[in-house]
Amino acid sequence: MADRSVPRDLIESLIRDLKRRGVDYADVRWERLLHEHLLAEQGCVTTVSLSESAGIGIRVLLKGSWGFASTPHVTKARLARTVADAIDLARASAAVNKQPRPLAPVEPVKARHRSPCAVDPFDVPLSKKLDYLLWANQALLGPDAIRRASSHMDFFKRRKLFCSTDGAQIEQVIVESGAGLEVVAQSGGEVQTRSFPNSHHGALAQAGFEYVKRLDLVGGASTAREEALHLLRAKPPRAGQTTVILHPTQVVMQLHESCGHPAELDRVLGQELSYAGGSFLIPEALNRLQYGSRLVNIIADATVASGVGSFGFDDEGVPARRVELVRDGRFVGYLSSRESAARLKLPSSGGMMRADGWSVPPLIRMTNVNLEPGEGTLEELMRNVKRGYLLSTNKSWSIDDRRLNFQFTTEIGWEILEGRLGAIVKNPLYTGMTPQFWGRCTGVGRREDWQLWGVPNCAKGEPMQLMHVGHGAPYARFDHVSVAAAT
Amino acid sequence: MIGENKLLTTLAGLVKRTKGDGVSVCAHAKTRRVSRFAYEAIHQDLRQESMGVTVKVIHNRRIGIAGAETLEAASLNRCARAAATIARHAPQQRDLPALPQRFRTRDRADYAPATARLPATECVAALKALLRICQGAGAALAGSLVTGEDEFAVVNCAGVACYAASTVASAKLVTMYRRLSGYASGTHHDIAQLDLEALLKRSLAQSLSQVEPVTLPLGTYEVILEPEAVAELVSWLGYTAFGAKAVEERSSCLAGRLGDQLMDRRITIYDDGNDPEMLRMPFDFEGTPKQRVTLIDSGRAAGIVYDTLYGMRFGRPSTGHGMPPGETEGPLPLHLGMAPGAATMEELLRACPRGVLIPRFHYVNGLLNPREAVMTGLTREGAWLIEEGRLTRPVTTMRFTQSMLEAFSHVAGVGKTRGLIADPSQELGCAVVPALHLKKFAFTGRSEP
Repeated sequence: MADRSVPRDLIESLIRDLKRRGVDYADVRWERLLHEHLLAEQGCVTTVSLSESAGIGIRVLLKGSWGFASTPHVTKARLARTVADAIDLARASAAVNKQPRPLAPVEPVKARHRSPCAVDPFDVPLSKKLDYLLWANQALLGPDAIRRASSHMDFFKRRKLFCSTDGAQIEQVIVESGAGLEVVAQSGGEVQTRSFPNSHHGALAQAGFEYVKRLDLVGGASTAREEALHLLRAKPPRAGQTTVILHPTQVVMQLHESCGHPAELDRVLGQELSYAGGSFLIPEALNRLQYGSRLVNIIADATVASGVGSFGFDDEGVPARRVELVRDGRFVGYLSSRESAARLKLPSSGGMMRADGWSVPPLIRMTNVNLEPGEGTLEELMRNVKRGYLLSTNKSWSIDDRRLNFQFTTEIGWEILEGRLGAIVKNPLYTGMTPQFWGRCTGVGRREDWQLWGVPNCAKGEPMQLMHVGHGAPYARFDHVSVAAAT
Repeated sequence: MIGENKLLTTLAGLVKRTKGDGVSVCAHAKTRRVSRFAYEAIHQDLRQESMGVTVKVIHNRRIGIAGAETLEAASLNRCARAAATIARHAPQQRDLPALPQRFRTRDRADYAPATARLPATECVAALKALLRICQGAGAALAGSLVTGEDEFAVVNCAGVACYAASTVASAKLVTMYRRLSGYASGTHHDIAQLDLEALLKRSLAQSLSQVEPVTLPLGTYEVILEPEAVAELVSWLGYTAFGAKAVEERSSCLAGRLGDQLMDRRITIYDDGNDPEMLRMPFDFEGTPKQRVTLIDSGRAAGIVYDTLYGMRFGRPSTGHGMPPGETEGPLPLHLGMAPGAATMEELLRACPRGVLIPRFHYVNGLLNPREAVMTGLTREGAWLIEEGRLTRPVTTMRFTQSMLEAFSHVAGVGKTRGLIADPSQELGCAVVPALHLKKFAFTGRSEP
C-alpha cells in the first residue's frame, strides 16, 4: 500500500469555504493510519493483517455550538456534504446552547513534526518480522501445562494534516512499534497468566523496528513461562493491611486510572457523566487538594522522546507541553483543551486534545502521565519493610465513577519479608481510595529504574475512542494498603 | 446508505478479481449521529460515516488479511493485493477450516428509515423537551442520544453472499438533583419506539428525593439487579466464558464443566442473533448463519459458541459466531439473552426484606479470576436500599467482588419483563435480559459519599 500524497489543496479549499460561510472557528483534519498486526500462537503464525484507514473530519464552531462530521470519501462532492453536515449540527445545537464558547488562545503555526524512527517497520520484510515473532513464540512453549503461548507485534504509521480557520497548517507523521508475549498455564482448576514485558498488549513506543529488537522477547519468554508454571503452585497473599511496592508496570495502571483520568477537565465539567463518569478533582481542589505525599510528583509530558502520548501538536494545533498535575503531593494542574481551559480561565490549553482517527472529534486525552523518579533502588525501598508484597503486571482494573475507590489485581506478586523478596504469590488484589493511597506513598524509586510504557487501549468518549497514551514510572512504595486474594 | 446491490456487487467483484485458493471479504458500513449533553448544553454533536472492509486470501494453506476503509475500487484492489502478498509470505496454517459455503441472505427486518434520516433539528427539539422537563423539576440533565444505521455484508468464493441492514436508536439519561443522581437508558431499532420522556421520568424518579443517602456496612446483601446491571455481568461471561477459545485455554468457568449444574435452575442464558427482541444480525463475519446456542440451560452448563476454526478444533460445526478476520479473541456471543421469569418488579421488591436495588454498574471487570467468574465493579446512580419490600434510602457508591457462579446460584426471583441493552456508539452486540433478585452479593468496598 503506497503512501499517497496528502490532499493539501482540497483541505485548503475547505478552509476557505468554511471561512466564507461565516463560522466562528473550524478545523479540518485529514489522517491516514496504517496498522500491521502479527500474531503467533502455539508455535504458528495465526494472524498477519494490514489495515489502512483514511478520511477527513471537519469540526465547526458556530454560535457557541460545535458540529463535527467526517467521511472516508475524499472527493469534492462528499466533502461539501460533510461541511454542510457539520454546520447543520452546530446550527441545530445553537437552539439549545445559550452560552458563548470562547477558546483559549493559540498561535497558529505552519509546522511539520516527525516522531523518532530509525528503522521504518513498514520497510522491514515481513519474513524477518515473522521469523523473530516465531522465535519468541517457540521460546514460550514448554510442558503440557502451557495452554497458550502467544506473541505479537504491532506497527502503526499515522500521517495527518491539520488546518484551521485561524491559519494553522500542521503536518505530522508518527510511527509506533510494539511487541509482547503472553503465556497461560493450567493445572486442574488453576489457570495463571504471565506477560512480557507488560500486559495489555506488551510494550509500545514511538520508534521503529529497532525498539522491538531491543525488547529481547526471546530472553523474556523463559522467565514468563517459568513464572506462569510457578504460579500454579503458589499460595495467595494473606488478606490484611500491609506495605506494597508496585513494579513500574503496575504504577502505570495506578497513574492511568487514579491520576490521569480524574485530571481530564472535560470529565470534571460533567461532559462524560453518562458514560465514564465524573471526577473528584473538582475546580475548588486545584492548588488546594493534597493529592498524595510530598514524594509524589506527576507530570503530563507530551514532549518525552518515544512516548506514545507524544506529538508535535495536538488536534487543536496546540504545541506539545509538559504540564504539572501533582507537585510535592499537591494537585496543581489539569489535562485541558482550548475550550475547557477558557472555561476555567486558565491562561492556555494544556494541549491534550487528540482524536483516535479522522472519523471522530478530538477529546481531552492523557499524553504521557508520568510519576517523576525519586531515590533508591528496589532493594533500598524494601530494606525496612518487615512484611509486605511486591506486585507486578496489571491483570484487572476497576475504579468508581469519580475515580476514588479503586481495585487492581496483578499477574504476580512476591512476599517481602524482613526487607528481602520471598515466595511468589498468586492472584494478588489491592484496593484503596485515591488520595489516601497516594498520601501513603513512602518511597519513589530512582531514575535508573524509571520505565516508559505505552497503553494502546485507553477508552473514552461516545463514540468510544481508543487512544495510545504513555506512562513513565519507577518503583513506588505504599504503606497500609488493603491486600487480599482474588479467589 | 450504500444499499445491498452496490455493496454486494462491489464485494463480489473484488472476490472475483482476487486470486487465491480461497477469498472471503466482509464489510461493515456504519453511520452514527451522536449528541452528548450536560448541564443545559450540547457539548458534542457529530455525524460520522465509516466503512471497514477486510479481505482474507488463502494461498497454499497460508492466510493473508488486509483491511481498507473505503469501497473505492483502487483502494480495494490495493487491499486485496496486500492480502495476497501477505498470504504468499505467511507460514502455512496447521488448522485451516473450509470457507462457509452457499449461504445467501438479504435482511432489512430491523431497518427503520426515519431513524437513519433523523434530522439534526428533530433531535435537538427532543432534547429541548427533556431539558424543559428537567428544569421544571429543578434537576440537571446529562447524557447522550445516538442514532445510526449499519450494513453488514460477507461474500466469499464458495458461494456466500449475505447482506443485512439495520438501524439503531439509543439514549442514556443521567438526572441530578442535590446530592442524588438517577439513570435510565433505552435502545430500539426504531427511534419512534424510544420513549424519551418515559426514560427521563424513570431517571428523575431515582434522583428527585429529599432523603439523604446512606452508607451501608460492607458485607453480603440481597440485591435486585435491573436489566442493565444484569446485562453487564452476562456480557462479561460472554467474553470470558462462552467462547470456544476461552474453553480451549481452560480459563473459562465452563471448561471441563459442560453438563454440570453451575447456577440456579431459574437461570437460562442463550445467544440468538435472530431473536426479534435483539438488534438482529443473521450471519457472522465469516458468512455463517447464526444459530441459537443455549449456553446455560436451567443452571446447567450447556454449550459454547464456535467459528469455523474453533469448530474444526472441537469437531463441531460453526455456530455462526465468527468475528472479523484479524480479531484474536476467537468466537464470541454478541446477542445474549436470559430467559424471563414470572415476577413483576413490584413483586421482586416485595419479596426482598433487606437489600440493594441496582440499576446499572460502573466499571465491571471480569478478569480477576475468570475460571471462577470472579468480577468486581461498583454501583453508581440510582442505587437504593430496600427494606421490607420498599425503597427507603439512596445508597452511596459500593464495590462488589463476587463470583458470578456463586451469585447466580442463589436466585430469589427473575423478572418477567426483559430489557434490550446495547451501547451502539461503543460496540457491537446487545443483550436481552430480565431483572434478577439475588440472595447473596458481596460488597467489599465503598467510595466516599
